[in-house]
This record gives sequence, structure tokens and C-alpha cells, in this order.
Amino acid sequence: MNRWTGKASSLEDWLDHLRKQPEIMANVTHWHTIPAREAKTADLPADLHPKLIEALNIRGIERLFTHQSAAYRAVRDGKHVVAVTPTASGKTLCYNLPVLQSLLENESGRALYLFPTKALAQDQVAELQELANIMEVDLKTHTYDGDTPPTVRTAIRNAGHIVVTNPDMLHSAILPHHTKWVKLFENIKYIVIDELHAYRGVFGSHVANVIRRLKRICKFYGSAPQFICASATIDNPGEHAERLIGERVALVDNNGAPTGEKHFVFYNPPVVNQQLGIRRSSVLETRKLASLLLKQGVQTIVFARSRVRVELLLTYLQELEKGELGKKTIRGYRGGYLPKLRREIERGLRSGEIRGVVSTNALELGIDIGQLQACVLNGYPGTIASTWQQSGRAGRRQGSSVTFMVASSNPLDQYMIQNPDFFFNRPPERALIHPDNLLILIDHIKCAAYELPFEEGDRFGSESLTDMLEFLVEEKVLHRVQNRWYWMDQSFPAHNISLRSAAQENFIIIDRTEGSRVLGEVDRFGAPTLIHEEAIYIHEGVQYQVEKLDYPEKKAYVREVNVDYFTDANLAVELKVLHVDREAQSGSLVRQYGELTVNAKPTIFKKIRLRTHENIGSGPIHLPEEELHTSGYWFSFNEEAAAGKGTNEMQCALLGIANVLVHIAPLYLMCDPMDIRVVPQVKAVHTKRPTIYFYDRYPGGIGLSERLYEVHDELVRQAQSLIASCTCLSGCPACVGPIEEVGLLGKSQALELLGEARAVL
Amino acid sequence: MSGLRERMNRLRGASPQSSAAEDEAENRPLQDSDRLKPSEEEPEDRLSGEWSRMQVRTAANDWGSFLLREVFYPLDYQHGTHRLMELIDASAALSAFHRGSEETPAPSAYNMLFLDLETTGLGVGTGNVPFMVGLGYATFDRFVIEQSLIRHPAEERAMLAYLAEKLKNFDYLVTYNGRTFDWPVLAGRYIMNGLGRLDSRLLHLDFLHPSRSIWRNTLTSCKLSHIEEERLNIKRHDDVPGSLAPSIYFQYLADGDPAPLEGVFRHNEIDMLSLACLAIRFAHLLGGRLGIDVPYPEDQEELLRTGLWLDKMGLTDLAETLFARLADKDVPTGSWCLPLAARDKKVGNWERAVLLWQKIALSAEASALPSYEAHIELAMYNEHRSKDLPSALRYAESAMQLALRRPQSRRNDPKLRAELEAIANRLERLRRKQNKGNVN
Repeated sequence: MNRWTGKASSLEDWLDHLRKQPEIMANVTHWHTIPAREAKTADLPADLHPKLIEALNIRGIERLFTHQSAAYRAVRDGKHVVAVTPTASGKTLCYNLPVLQSLLENESGRALYLFPTKALAQDQVAELQELANIMEVDLKTHTYDGDTPPTVRTAIRNAGHIVVTNPDMLHSAILPHHTKWVKLFENIKYIVIDELHAYRGVFGSHVANVIRRLKRICKFYGSAPQFICASATIDNPGEHAERLIGERVALVDNNGAPTGEKHFVFYNPPVVNQQLGIRRSSVLETRKLASLLLKQGVQTIVFARSRVRVELLLTYLQELEKGELGKKTIRGYRGGYLPKLRREIERGLRSGEIRGVVSTNALELGIDIGQLQACVLNGYPGTIASTWQQSGRAGRRQGSSVTFMVASSNPLDQYMIQNPDFFFNRPPERALIHPDNLLILIDHIKCAAYELPFEEGDRFGSESLTDMLEFLVEEKVLHRVQNRWYWMDQSFPAHNISLRSAAQENFIIIDRTEGSRVLGEVDRFGAPTLIHEEAIYIHEGVQYQVEKLDYPEKKAYVREVNVDYFTDANLAVELKVLHVDREAQSGSLVRQYGELTVNAKPTIFKKIRLRTHENIGSGPIHLPEEELHTSGYWFSFNEEAAAGKGTNEMQCALLGIANVLVHIAPLYLMCDPMDIRVVPQVKAVHTKRPTIYFYDRYPGGIGLSERLYEVHDELVRQAQSLIASCTCLSGCPACVGPIEEVGLLGKSQALELLGEARAVL
Repeated sequence: MSGLRERMNRLRGASPQSSAAEDEAENRPLQDSDRLKPSEEEPEDRLSGEWSRMQVRTAANDWGSFLLREVFYPLDYQHGTHRLMELIDASAALSAFHRGSEETPAPSAYNMLFLDLETTGLGVGTGNVPFMVGLGYATFDRFVIEQSLIRHPAEERAMLAYLAEKLKNFDYLVTYNGRTFDWPVLAGRYIMNGLGRLDSRLLHLDFLHPSRSIWRNTLTSCKLSHIEEERLNIKRHDDVPGSLAPSIYFQYLADGDPAPLEGVFRHNEIDMLSLACLAIRFAHLLGGRLGIDVPYPEDQEELLRTGLWLDKMGLTDLAETLFARLADKDVPTGSWCLPLAARDKKVGNWERAVLLWQKIALSAEASALPSYEAHIELAMYNEHRSKDLPSALRYAESAMQLALRRPQSRRNDPKLRAELEAIANRLERLRRKQNKGNVN
């Protein structure tokens, strides 16, 4: 540390200095150092085309990393491949090398690349084009997406060697017009699917069906392409790839890329109110740490979980531009930015002109921004896999890097920050998809029938195809002649089917106090209870009253108010078990998995006076009931465990346990916490006992509750340990919930109930 | 099967509407037409009386069978403003569409095939099936309309193979919007049916684009049905609109009753005749028969657009006679003036361009919300071509005055601001030039 400038000579030096600062270290709950790792390399493949060898040499590549070499070998052996690689390990060569080699051997060959977003596709084309230019071969690589001008589309369809697109475009533009793509489909050798882990849940289930359709079309044109997939580190890359593409795959995971030393620092903001378990704002702590780094001249990326937080942190950090850092050196990055602006920011990051960037998970995917030195995570990103992806943005092949994870007071964050072993020693989440979800499947059977008639004996998914086709005949969209089914309808089915789940659509909250400005967002499921008309919505400590909820348009209009109450809505949830598929018992807990229907309707809201919590009035909520038929898993306590508890106590205990479970369930699932719901019932209709239900928030289910059923024991154990290790006195938002919700004894009741239930184990 | 329906209904939230169609189907009494279900119950080569009343017979080839309806018109048949026989003398003028393709003989009444598809949907996606192919062509003594129809999608291949044979006899394909619709749809269907690539030797005459060039500002729509009514004096009676054709066909697939298809046949038949008349109309325009076989357009805009189109087709002399009609007479200025002046400027016909601009400039100065484009053109002309700086300056100054008469409310309009700025720059430059000239 230079005494005069206050600047450290290196990141290591600065980290040493940081370790001597007690006011920071008091909040550091864990400091994990991952040692530097040497590169593991292999010779360039012997059969590699001389032009390709030369191009690699010009790019400074004399040898391959072991995973690149293994992927090349496996592809050349004719296998479908999934390569699992962390950020910045040169994964693109895993697929570009065999594809380019094949095109050099036979220029009539074709390849299709799929990326989840347009931005990634454009990066890829730039990289491929650069290699082609070095080799001086006429290799045509094009993006084909919504931005592609109609004038060049024909040329791409006929002459593009490598067509780079996204699943949505494949679904709605390419497959339904496959006769315009004869050249591609007749000659297609490879299908590259990058960011495989992004295709999970509902989106992934749709994409798996789009791939089924793609394979059908390829077969029609007499081709059988090989799949080359690349995925971030997840628990089940091989299985996930196999489910997604419906083929056996060879797994390549011998990462040989070198990394510098990496520091992973868990940072928990200090408690400011012991009784209520409230910690200092994670946003302010993130700002503090990021400012320290930026002032040191360390290029830093800050990840925040919502757009609003990105903007907030950006505003705070841009104050630094007035001081030591120049104008436009700290930028934001998120979905709403225009492509041109994004490209500019990416370039600025690569060149180093931009010193700091605040981003949503938009930068988590493989967009090329070079490698930064430091990363600050505002809140746990939600999954272990994302955390590693985001943290991977900091870390060069040489030299140290650091990631700070600043926990919020949400239970999942608190669990992670207090259980570093869980984070460092457990495999990341599993990516789950359920391509045979009936609703998703039938939609894609329609699209597939539009693309090519079905024939008796065809297969598409695991359901009986003939039944599905006959159903569509009855629905009058298919027409059967002998043993063939033809699309016979005026509509274009792909237009009505979006691959991205509608559940991702949020309600926007618009403040009309002065003019109108967007205040924030609430997810679709939270809307009925949080922003019904007359609700008090609290945003950054300011009260707003909802004046109008435009349900179809997904907008809530609010106005600032100053009242001495808050509102609490009752949501009547009715669960009906239709069918039990699986059942098991551990300890005194009986658990079941099966199909159920959920009817949810907000009924009334109560006005509750601040501080005294007396009920000072109520009103009705007029919103439609929502019915959901889905899959679920539930477990119930037996009489002994429930003994000695009154209904009220049981209610608090169950609610407390449910509050914890809803937050830690995502530990086992690669899903958004909103995709799964937890409902406690003191006396459930189905079991007649105190029961906690989990269900998938998507019609037909997408496999989430089934996975939870399988890890039930582990799930309950983690819940118990989280509550037990929380430092609050009697319940806080980081464990069973605030005492306003679960009562003064909520925490102890919940622990007691879990303790007794598990004691028998 | 019923299990699947139950599950689907549950997942979809079991709305009562979703099963309404089913109930309706079940409660419907058995109708005569139920016994007419196509293919299985009826030998394919024996058609019911209903079909033969509609002049429909079966046709067959190596790929299977389908239905064919043939209708004949005498060549002196008058359809709206034209007789079909006009094709014989007029058609050669259509060669203006394909200059430079000398290896193909010029269009004649006998080497043009008129084509129009009826399909099950919109767009050129792979699920859109042409269930009826309408063809029209002239022979030495009559005009033939051949319509093929498939009784179910499995007959499509035979019908397409028949069409491929037919195409070999012609050099030109005549359509309305066939470039972007009928032809790509057919090309896709050939691939889907494993028949390979569709013969692309034929030259295409698609009259949609020329129709748009001429009528886009004078007719509310450039649909064939609208043009034939407004410009070819063709009146249809009891026409089944083309948009209903798919549902009529689906109904036929469901109940096997051919009767309602008659309306579709008739509609397609008239389309073929209208297409032939449109070909005659364009042939006359290109053959210099305007004012002889076709009356001059009453509307100046249409006259202008016809002239500009002929000009674009390389028939400058013909275009010029139309322009002369516009410019020479004491026609009051109209929206046609500026485009014509622009065209004259482009080809270097300065004399008339200046005349037109002056005409426009005069009338603009008298109007309440004047446009100043002509003033700017004149300023440019005088600055760069006639080198008359004082006149150039005078026109630029008037342009500025006129522009400033625009209401205050529009001042923030970026387009107007940019224009004002451009005029100011021009004024400044002209003044500078003039001063320099004075000094010298």
C-alpha cells in the first residue's frame, strides 16, 4: 500500500490491506481462496487442416486445452457431445474447431448454431468470421433473427454455411418454412447448442420440443446432424443434454484452462435491529465494496438481481465519476438497453475504458467483455450455477481476482452466507425440463404437423402419439387420410405459441403522484395480493396506495400517501389432490407426489395499524379466481408430532416452516423461486393432518416438485438447520419470517415440530 | 382418448366453451351428407351426381387421382371492358416486362398460362395447402379454364404432378401476386411431396406490382376484385369471397358434401377471366393503345402514374404523350406536378420541369398553407444550371418566407427545423456568392 496515494500496487496487496481492516472483516463470514491452476494442454489434432492450424497459430494458439482436444476427438468420432466449461475457458473452440474442420473438408456442409439471445449470436458470428478471414476461405456465417433485413434473408437461406440463430426464430420462422431452407437441411452436419443450461424449466421444455421438430425436418431431407452442446457447470449436464436433444451424448468435462488465484469473500451486512433481525441494506454495502475496488483502479463488475437495483447502484457508483474516475467510466447493462448501446459497453469493457459495470444477469451468459478483476454480487444470484457464472466474469488466466458476495436478508442468502460448505462442496443445481408436459407437447405436435404430416408409427414425445393426433382431429385442426395426419387449418400455429413462459411477465407499478413514472415491478403471482386496488404498496420506505389495477394490461397505478396502516390480503387457496403417484415415509413424515388442482382467489384485505397491529378495517378484492392443474408434492406430520399444539400454534409453526422451505427449495432446483409454491395447511382435506404442499406453478408441472420429493430428507434437514442457526431471537425475515407473521413463538414452534418429526429418523 | 381430452380440459382450466364444439357435433342429427364421406365409402373413380352437375370429373396419373373441372369460353366472350380475343393482337406488347430474355419467344395468346391458387391458409408456410389450382389458357378457338381439386390432402401429389406436365407447354406464367404467393407456395409443395424442384424456365408476369404503380393513389385497394370492378367494369354476382374458400373446403372435408364448393369453383373461374382481362389492359397500355382501345384515365393522378410506369418500362415516347396531356393543357396544378417535374429533372427535361415548378410556385404563394418545394427546386436550378444568382436568391428568400408561415406549433418538428436550416444555409451561400461576384 502506497502511503501517499492510498493505492495498492496490486490486487493481492490491496486484499492484504483489506484483511487488516476490522470494520470490514467483522462482516466477512468466510474467505475462500481457490489456488491458481496450471493449464493442461494437448497437441493440436493430427488431422487438423493446415489452414486451421495456421489460423490458430496466428491467434497465438499452439496447443489446445484438454477439454477442447477431447471435444474435438469425440465429435470426430461421430458422437453427440456436451462440453461443460466454466466462464472464459475457450469453450467456443470446442465446437468451432470440429465444425470448421468439417467445412474445410467439404464446403457443401452446413451447420446451425443456437444461442438463447441475439447478442450472443452476434458475438459468435464476429469470431467465426475473423477465423475465416485469417484462413482466407469463403466461409459464410450469418445471424438469422428478427433483425435480419428481408433483402439478405434469401442469400442466407441458400448460401450460409453457418447459420446462427435462436430457438424462438427456429420455432416460428425457420421450421415452418423449411422448404425455403432446402440447402441447409439437406447438408446439415452439425447443430451447435451453446448455453445449454439456459434451456431449463418451461423454456427448456419448449426448446426440447423445437429440437424434436428440427430432427424431424432433418430426417425428411435425409440428414442426421450431430449435436455439439456447451453448458456452464450444472449438476447434470449429460442427462440434461440427453433430455433436451433426445440422443445419447458423450460428456466432456476435463477443463484444462488455467486460472489465476481466486478469492471468494462472503460478506454479511451487520445486524442493525436484533429483535426484528434487520440487517444493513445490501445495496449500501455493495456500493461500499464496489467503490473501494473502483477507487483502487480495479476493473469491477457488479451484479444485481433486478433492473431497479441495477439502476440504483449505478446512480450511487456514478458519483465516483465526479472524483477520481472520468466520465462514462461506470455503466449499467441490462435487458432494456438497446443493442447498439450494449455493443458500445461491451467494447468499452474489453478495451478497459469502462472501469465498472453494473448488470443484471444479462452479462452472465457468454457475451465477450474480456476478463475483469473483481466482481461484487448484490445478493445471492439464486443458484450455485449462476453464482459461478457471474463470479467467473472476474478472473484472468494470470493474476488474482476477487468476488464479494453481499448477502441480503432473504433466507436463501442468509443460508448461503452461513453455510459456505454447502456452496463450495456441493454440485450446482440440476437443470430440469419436462418436454412431455401435455400442454407444451400438444402445442408442438400442432407445429410439427404444420411442418410435415404425421404418419402411423412416428414418434414424438412419450405420450401415445396416435391419441394426441386423434385428439387434434377432433379439435378440427388435423385431417386423417388412411394412416397419415395432415394439418388442415387456416392458422399458423407457431405464432400463438411462445417459448418463453408467460409467468415471466410482470406487472408494472406506475406512480401518478406527479406525472407518471415507473416505480417497480411485481411478478404475476404476487400481483393479486400485493397490488390489488386500495392496497398500500411500500417502495423504498415510501407508502403508495393502489388506485387502479389494470389486470389485463398488467399495470397498477399508485399514488403516494401517508397513512398509519398497511394492508394484508387473504388469498384463499384450495388444493385438491387428484392422483397420488408416489408415496414414502421417513421418520414420522409421510410424503406423497402426484397431481393436484389449485384454486386461488384473493378474497378480502385487512387494514392493519402500524406498530399496534390492530385491525382497523377491511375491504373486498375483486379479481378472478385462478385455477391451476399441476403436479405437487406434500408431506404431513403425524399425531404425535402435532400433540400438544393448538390450532393457532400449529398454524404458526407450519407457516414458519413453509417460509423457510420456499426459500431453500431453489437450492435443489435450477429455477426461479417464483416457479414453485409452498402452502401449509393445519388440517389438509387430503391427509386430514397438518401438511405442507409444494406445487409447480405451471399447468401440468415441469418436474420441480418431483425433484423435491426425491430430496425430501435433505430439504427438511436444511430447513431445520437454517432456523436453528439463525441469530435472531424469535423469527426474522431471514428464517421463519417476521414475528408479525408467525407470532412470538413461531420460530420455536417450527423448530420443535421439525425436531420431533425428524427425531424418529 | 377420452382420458386425454379430460386431461387437456383440466389443464386448460376446463372452460365450458372448449367442449361446446364437441357437444354440438354430438347433438347434431345425422345428415344426408354424412353418408357422402369422401374416399373410403365411394370408389374413387365414380363420382356422385352432384359432382357431374358441376362439370367435375376424375383425373388420374401415376401418382394417383384428383378431380378436374373444365370450362370453355368462346374467344369473343366479353368480360367487362375487354373481349378475350384481344389477347391475340395485344399480348406481344407484354414483352416489355422481360426485355433481354431473347431466348424465350415473346408473349402470345397461346404461350401464356394464367394461374391462381385457392389455399387452406395465408402465407407461404409449409402447412398451407393449395386445394384448388386454377389454370387458364387460350387455344386457337377458345379460352380454357381448368380447375383441379383434391378430395383430401393425399391427392395433392397427383395434382401437382399434373400441373408440372401442364407447365411444360407454356413460356409465361401470369398471376396476380404470384411472385410472392402462388409460386413460392407451389415450390414448397413440390418439395414437401418429394417432387423436387419446380420448373423455373417460365417467365413470370405478375400484375400486382404494375397495378400498384398505377392505382395505388387512386383506388382504395389494389386487390384484383377491386381493380376489376373499378377499372375493368366487371361485376360479380353471388360471389363467394376468396377468404371464405378455406372454411368451405374444411367443411367439405368434414361432411363430404361437394355442393358448397361450386361457389369456390365459380370464384376462381372469374379470377382467371379477370386476370386475362388485366393482361389485355396492360398489353394495351404497353402497346400504345391508350386513347384507342382503352380510354385515357379521367384522373390526372392516374394519368401521371400510368406515364411514370410506362417511362419505367422503357416506353418513354408513350409516357411523354401522357405527360404532354398533363402539362400542355390549362390543367390546374395538382399533386401530379411535383412528381412529373422530378421525373423531368431526372431525365434532364429542364424546360418543362421549370415550367411546372413555376406553375406550382405561383399557386403555392396564393395558398394558405403553402409548400415551398418548388421554390427550392427553382433556387437550385437557377444557382447551378442557369447561373442566375439573383433569381436563385429570390426563390430561396420566398421559400424561407413560406416556410416561416408554418404554424408556430410545428416549429419543434425536427423535419421542419432541418428544412429551415437547409434554406438558411442556401441563402447564406447564395449571398456570399453574389457578393463575391459583385466585388469581382
